[in-house]
Amino acid sequence: MNWSVLRLLYIHEIKMLVRARRTVVMALVIPAVIMPVMIYAQKFANDRRERTLTATTYLYAVTGPLADRVRSLIENTRQAVAENKDEEFDNLRQFKFDEIRLANPRESLDNNTIQFYVQAISGEEADKLPSTNDGSGSRPSSAPPPSKRLTGVPRVTVIYRADRDGSDNAHNRIMELLRLAREKDSQLLLVDRGFPGSPKGLFAAQDSNIATNGQVTGSLVGRFITLFLVMMMFTGGAVASMDIIAGEKERGTLETLLTTAVRRTEIVTAKLMAITCVALVITLIQGVNFFLYIRLKVIALPKDFDLQLPTGMALTLLALFIPLAATIAAVLLMLSAYAKSYKEAQMYFFPVYMVSMIPALASVMPGLSLRSAIALVPLANVSVASREILMGRPDPLMIMVTFLVMALTAVFLIRMSARMLAREDLVIPSHSEPAEFLGGPALFQKRVLRWFALMWAVTFAVAANVPQLATFQRQLVFNEVVIMIGATLLMLKFYNLDVTDALSLRRVKPAVWLAILFAIPSGYLTALAIFRIVNKVIPAPQQLLERFAEDFIPAGMPMWQLYLYVAVLPAICEEIAFRGMLLNGLRRRLRPAALMVSVGIIFGLFHMTLFRIAPTALLGMILTGIALMTGSIFPGMLMHAGNNAFGLWAGGGGLGLETLDWQYYAAAGSIFALALWIIYRNRTPLPTRSVYRGA
Amino acid sequence: MNAPVLVRNLSKTFYDEGRGEVRAVDSISFECREGEVFGLLGANGAGKTTTLRMLSTILAPSSGTANILGHDVVTDSQGVRKNLGFYSSTTALYPRLTARETIDFFARINQYPADRVKERVEYLIQRFGLAKYADARVEKLSSGMKQKVSIARTVAHDPLIVIFDEPTVGLDVLNALEVQESISELRSEGKTIIFSTHIMSEAERLCDRIAIIHGGRILASDTLAGLRESTGQHYLEDIFVLYVKAGQETV
Repeated sequence: MNWSVLRLLYIHEIKMLVRARRTVVMALVIPAVIMPVMIYAQKFANDRRERTLTATTYLYAVTGPLADRVRSLIENTRQAVAENKDEEFDNLRQFKFDEIRLANPRESLDNNTIQFYVQAISGEEADKLPSTNDGSGSRPSSAPPPSKRLTGVPRVTVIYRADRDGSDNAHNRIMELLRLAREKDSQLLLVDRGFPGSPKGLFAAQDSNIATNGQVTGSLVGRFITLFLVMMMFTGGAVASMDIIAGEKERGTLETLLTTAVRRTEIVTAKLMAITCVALVITLIQGVNFFLYIRLKVIALPKDFDLQLPTGMALTLLALFIPLAATIAAVLLMLSAYAKSYKEAQMYFFPVYMVSMIPALASVMPGLSLRSAIALVPLANVSVASREILMGRPDPLMIMVTFLVMALTAVFLIRMSARMLAREDLVIPSHSEPAEFLGGPALFQKRVLRWFALMWAVTFAVAANVPQLATFQRQLVFNEVVIMIGATLLMLKFYNLDVTDALSLRRVKPAVWLAILFAIPSGYLTALAIFRIVNKVIPAPQQLLERFAEDFIPAGMPMWQLYLYVAVLPAICEEIAFRGMLLNGLRRRLRPAALMVSVGIIFGLFHMTLFRIAPTALLGMILTGIALMTGSIFPGMLMHAGNNAFGLWAGGGGLGLETLDWQYYAAAGSIFALALWIIYRNRTPLPTRSVYRGA
Repeated sequence: MNAPVLVRNLSKTFYDEGRGEVRAVDSISFECREGEVFGLLGANGAGKTTTLRMLSTILAPSSGTANILGHDVVTDSQGVRKNLGFYSSTTALYPRLTARETIDFFARINQYPADRVKERVEYLIQRFGLAKYADARVEKLSSGMKQKVSIARTVAHDPLIVIFDEPTVGLDVLNALEVQESISELRSEGKTIIFSTHIMSEAERLCDRIAIIHGGRILASDTLAGLRESTGQHYLEDIFVLYVKAGQETV
């Protein structure tokens, strides 16, 4: 990377953005001017409405045989409210209303002469009426059902019009008053019969919050700050990103830039820096805006709001928000690089924006701690980390992990964007990728990840929405046979693939089989040791583990069936799908290490439970490594089946393998390493990456 | 001495939704000598632009090799671009930069020595007659002025090889003449120029050697005098038609 060229390109990008009048107006003027104007206008309208509603004297009528009793109840309660100084009665104290006597209150309500009328009838009369009849003569379908009335109890109905602001407001206040009147009346009856009338006379109910206002505020702000920032950065960054590659393609300046001596990674990095800068500036403007709204009391804060942000806390948050901004900028840059025109980039923006909101909501999920697998999920980790930092419970180690994950994600996305600038079909729109045109195996390599994304989505959707498949056997059969094997058959047919080649159905040297037999128990014990070590840093929730074990192994199932469902079926179907199809689709595009990681992670993601993703991903990586070394899925199948069966046997027999002394684990690790070495020495690999793609 | 541009069996196949598999360039070979204007003469769709895009490393060849001053277009693309100026009707200018900023920017990103950039920019502004408009934004300039700025930015870093891909397309006669004069001047400065066109008179006037390209293949390559001698025709148009017809018959 040539830093002086990078600096030059960055300044150039910023200059281009600042000189684009439309961009400046959209990015700076609108947030800085229009938003405050809108919020002020809304506040002005609300205040005016509130003043009008408070100043208005509402007119109403009372009808029915019990009208006098209702009048007296209303009057007495109003007096009681006027004498009571509690804040909770402020609304009712300000409520001004006068009764007028009318022959036809319904007509007066329709004419807007009165805002509501109260109809009071005796219990006997109410019992004679059909249960849906409220006496008003009509009932809108959207209105809530009346509360259930006991037989013989008088009924008081407030009839109003919800389509008129004044009527609706008056109705809310009178209902509040009537409920209070009922409560007072009930208390009087109790006192008459010698009981304590007021609930306060029985015992005092109090609460005591030991969290400081700062902690409560931190928890509240921490839940939403990442979501807020992601929204701001996305919308702010989009202003710059749309134009920065897609716009350049359209104008022809990208081709000019690509013929200069700069590298594509330098172009992409400078553009990313520019988007990040714009996103941060717009976020800052919005932040200052909100701060001003709060200071000027345009936005009302909750009672006891006390946000404490000492320097250390602010810097820690900043250390997370900068890679967050870089990652969002990288996502936007990729989108812009992928789009062939400005319009196409705009089309892709909204779905990407919506999907990005989901991980940012992780902090809202109760009980989710950063010391879990969530630390490895980009965006979600920042969301949870921010909450913990603002609550005053930062976890330095996991914050470091979060920072690294975000930084790596940004670097990965930058590399992807740079690769896109090397794609001729994206740089010169008239060219199609050869694979798109030729179809067959070449197209399969490009589409394989889409297939697995679809398979994952179907598996997830069916597990969540089809109760008929919720049982252990049915779910396994559906996932393994319908999804894995079904999709494999479809892919083989769609892309006209050779079965032997696509599924790596090859013979291996006999020594490999022997090594696999040693690798099964030793690999299992090694994995247990890793699990114990990891558990010290990121403890897996014990309740989840126990519940999973209960759900996973149904009681009363014959052992042979258990081995069939847990060991044999997944080993055959998953090896065909993952180490067969997926590995075959990716092996010409990635280096072996990247292949192991990618196939392993995708394999892990198919094991939906959050805490299972990491261990299954590790197993997936090992199985991928074996498939790469042997060029065949058969050893992996045996290893997979053996591993699951060994786990079942060890768990059922209560062998306590998870609490062995460390020397046993060390011995197992050595045997496992030896087994892998034997496999390596007897390797018969398939060709992997055949074409080097320079930047 | 080795030729500064050396192309051997260069091919490019791409896939067009309308036309299917297209062999845009079919195993072409040529070389350009130092200080000459080498013309690629062909009709639209003959493969000129694709060839020049491969030489400028925008497109990767499907097969074959191309060397620019000893730098391979695939394995040392940055080395190629450092020594190359590429001008095409599709390589646009940044509308919001001034003419001076444009030349300055392209000189710097092509790594022209930083201490000499200012001097170089002033020289090019004077040389292309841009002084009056040097501080006006490109979007405000006439198409003739834009053309001059484009050529100035192409040679901003003083490359030894300059590629002109149909530089006069869409220009009026006077502007086209100015571009031709600029190319002649660059030749007299010792630059090696690859020039593509479908206009016979341009090729006749500018090129030291001409390659006739059709259907992605080079049908003939020689000086104008050599082409006249081998075909017995005087006018380049007749020579071109003769080769194209012969080429089609061969196919």
